[in-house]
Amino acid sequence: MLVLSRRTGQKIVIGNEVVVDVLGISGDGVKLGISAPGETSVHRYEVFTEIQAANRAAEVAVDDIENAALGNLSQMVRKNKDNEAI
Amino acid sequence: MSVINIKGKDVPYNEEEIITFSEGLIGMPEMRRAVLVPMDEFQPFCWLASIESETGRFIVVDPNEIFAGYEPFPAEQVAGADLQTLAIVKISSEWDKTTVNLRAPLVINKETHIGAQLILSDSKYQFAESLMQN
Repeated sequence: MLVLSRRTGQKIVIGNEVVVDVLGISGDGVKLGISAPGETSVHRYEVFTEIQAANRAAEVAVDDIENAALGNLSQMVRKNKDNEAI
Repeated sequence: MSVINIKGKDVPYNEEEIITFSEGLIGMPEMRRAVLVPMDEFQPFCWLASIESETGRFIVVDPNEIFAGYEPFPAEQVAGADLQTLAIVKISSEWDKTTVNLRAPLVINKETHIGAQLILSDSKYQFAESLMQN
């Protein structure tokens, strides 16, 4: 891992296009400004890992599903929709 | 015409139907090219199946079929684009514990067939919303 020291107002650049700007520091918090091309997604790490875990769990669950479970769900969803329509 | 195997069944699809997630799904960069296969028997659920990996299989649903009024982003923000929104379903072995990920929906441009998984900043939508409360 590369470790850099920066002061408020200083920046780093990642690749050719991603710029991280240290906007401010207060206590143990640091405020970062990130400029990146539109197709580059930027997420808080903990949110990223939470969704990654959710995606993996949903993928794995597919192996174990039985048609009965899908049948029950499908029936329930369709029944609720009919009730809404009335 | 090509064929993809989903839970032991061969399903035909056309090349033009392929959806490209340029970055993959979040934390799953390998989930890049997939097809959407409606489950005729179990509507409104669909398969989202990777055409590149045998394990890339998800169950998805149009959230509006279940959660009336689901609006992941303001309509004016996406005016003019013909978008399809899908949510990943996590089936539980106890079927009534099944959840839907409303916080990180898949959005697909119906014209270009390019898609992405978004993370909504509005926390009124949950990562694991119960299917049963509706």
